[in-house]
Amino acid sequence: MYMQSEEFVEGNAYDTYAAYGSQSHGYNQEEEYGLHSGDPRQDLAYERQYEHQTPTYILPEVIKNFIQYFHKCINEGNLYEINNCYENNFNKLTERFFKNSPWPEAEFVLPHVGNDPLFLILYKELYYRHIYAKVTGGPTQEQRFESYYNYCNLFNYILNVDLPVPLELPNQWLWDIIDEFIYQFQSFSQYRSKLMKKTDDEINVLRLSPKIWNVHSVLNVLHSLVDKSNINQQLEVYAIEGDPDSVAGEFGSHPLYKMLGYFSLIGLLRLHSLLGDYYQGIKVLENIELNKKSVYSRVPACQITTYYYVGFAYMMMRRYQDAIRSFANILLYIQRTKQMFQTKSYQYDMIMKMNDQMYNLLAISLTLHPMRIDESVHSQLREKCADKMLKMQKGDRQVFEDTISFACPKFISPVVPNYDAPKNNYHKEPFMLQLKVFMEEVSQQIMVPTIRSFLKLYTTMPISKLATFLDMSEDDFRNALLCFKHKMKNVVWTKGSSGLEGEFQSASEVDFYIDLDMIHIADTKVARRYGDFFIRQIHKFEELNRSLVKMGPSSKQ
Amino acid sequence: MADHLAMRRNVASLLKGIDRYNPENLGTLERYVELQAKENTYDLEANLAVLKLYQFNPMYFQLNVTAQILLKALTNLPHTDFVLCKCLIGEAHQQEDQIVKILHLHDLLETCQFKTFWSEITGNPEMIMGIQGFPDSVRKYICHVVGITYQMIDKDVLAELLGDLSHEDLKQWMTKYGWSEAGDNKVFIANQEGNVKSKNITEKIDFDSVAGIMAAAAAH
Repeated sequence: MYMQSEEFVEGNAYDTYAAYGSQSHGYNQEEEYGLHSGDPRQDLAYERQYEHQTPTYILPEVIKNFIQYFHKCINEGNLYEINNCYENNFNKLTERFFKNSPWPEAEFVLPHVGNDPLFLILYKELYYRHIYAKVTGGPTQEQRFESYYNYCNLFNYILNVDLPVPLELPNQWLWDIIDEFIYQFQSFSQYRSKLMKKTDDEINVLRLSPKIWNVHSVLNVLHSLVDKSNINQQLEVYAIEGDPDSVAGEFGSHPLYKMLGYFSLIGLLRLHSLLGDYYQGIKVLENIELNKKSVYSRVPACQITTYYYVGFAYMMMRRYQDAIRSFANILLYIQRTKQMFQTKSYQYDMIMKMNDQMYNLLAISLTLHPMRIDESVHSQLREKCADKMLKMQKGDRQVFEDTISFACPKFISPVVPNYDAPKNNYHKEPFMLQLKVFMEEVSQQIMVPTIRSFLKLYTTMPISKLATFLDMSEDDFRNALLCFKHKMKNVVWTKGSSGLEGEFQSASEVDFYIDLDMIHIADTKVARRYGDFFIRQIHKFEELNRSLVKMGPSSKQ
Repeated sequence: MADHLAMRRNVASLLKGIDRYNPENLGTLERYVELQAKENTYDLEANLAVLKLYQFNPMYFQLNVTAQILLKALTNLPHTDFVLCKCLIGEAHQQEDQIVKILHLHDLLETCQFKTFWSEITGNPEMIMGIQGFPDSVRKYICHVVGITYQMIDKDVLAELLGDLSHEDLKQWMTKYGWSEAGDNKVFIANQEGNVKSKNITEKIDFDSVAGIMAAAAAH
């Protein structure tokens, strides 16, 4: 291992930050020391009072009770109640008291939970996550740093041990930890790259803290979780219907480690995609059967994130069939499980955004590679994107650009900017690169939809004639026909667990071949499928009928 | 060849886990790219790892190695390896003359402008110098595209697509792909009529899926 796991926590940077903190808050050292009573808790309260120029913060009773109950559940390992606190109570209290402001700082919470350091870390995780998501203005530079240190503490606690830690958390929370960890890294990379509007002080702190939210640290965490849990070995055994516990090892058999390991694989998919490495993104999932009906994880946000990035990666690799299949499957899943998400705030917003983005990506993929998809997804797609699709089919490059700009991930650079010579729009460069690559692909294929629409009109035609219809030289037209065939033949996954595998296939409904100077066209007409839809609706109606009957003998059938 | 196998195994172990991000491995990986170019072998994953290390450590970026990686990716068409590489190379580097030329070759090949491609290569042979077997790898790709498009093709057209091949050389390629002479200067590629036929796909609802519904209906 070329990187020591102890390197999670960077001691030096703390000192840098403390110095910065005292400068910006204008501490009057003399006065402050003069009024210290010697009792740490009182002094702490006093410092805060001085710092914020507000009266000492008193925790509202309902908050205090919640915190203490939450702490108790975590200590007792009561998963059901932890989940309840985490998914319901926390969100309800946020709605009521902290809609756009932060929860109480950790220091105020600490005394009520017996100064439990682990609870402090977990509480801070929620605290900072809430600031990122809901507090107006988002996190300050200091808060970004502190959140990073908190994650370091958390992962140190989990990983820097000889035996598995006695902690159990609900899968939803474990997913959210990994998801948020990467999100904050992404956010920081973007933040760090925007130098134009920062003060010299802020830039200086950034310059002196190269290890904060360093890409290697993030990779190290994810890889360590994957390795410690033996998740790849477990997945391999699971795929052949064996017993994963036989290869899990001491840590991997513990649900905390196993699920963190699994979620870290998805985290790596996301991270690699954000850096433009689509091959590696799909590769890390090579033991996860993406096309299996049964799923390893029942956290909806995890499923949705997985298929968003998988679909996007396939699309950039020109594996449109695989991309379309991924998007269609997950969009159908979202349609069917939408009601479940209503109460869960952060997740719901994020899921709905991804839903929209995926419809747009599906629109692009289907324009480039028309094929049949599920009827209900198709109707939603028409509702949302019919106009766009029409324009893209006609070769409107701007619409392609706008659509992908909206739907693509927020790409980042793994490298710090040049603090001495800041470039305008440096933070946009990673996105611009991916956009350029994609648009070049679009340019190469720009004639394909037009040729397709002409082909649909005929069955046999001399090449020279069709070339004149399209206002092209015969040579150019022949090249365009070869290009059509080439672009329509994608690598398509057929079997095995690795998403990278596949065979060349063409699912083009309009197909042709050239016989010397003649072109022979075949059109595949697929009749509309209604059977599936009706069967599904009949079953639903039967269910409804049955439950009505159950409700009371007076209900009529 | 044995050299290459040993190298491949060594590289595979370097790319495991977190070690793939260790810039100290760059030297070995760069030598491996050179080896692939010399011996006409190919390892996409190793080459992507090099580009990623350049992305993470811009001070180690090497233009020549990047150019070699891109040219090797062209030899694996119709796979989209080249596009994957492009996504990892910064815009500034993509503006370099050497890279611009290679990007142009890629564009020509992807849009099947094969005649123009061959004239570019003939005009600038130094571009692909050092990549053993480059022209033949491209011919493999061209034959793939011809094979999925044509039923019967004029011999001269085919020879031109493959880079103005002599009839001698053309014969070798025809044998390789099982394409036969069809008299009067024509070449028979494949019977496409079988594959490319108009189809009318109608839905078939099998009894099993409705059996449950029918049984339930009968029960009322």
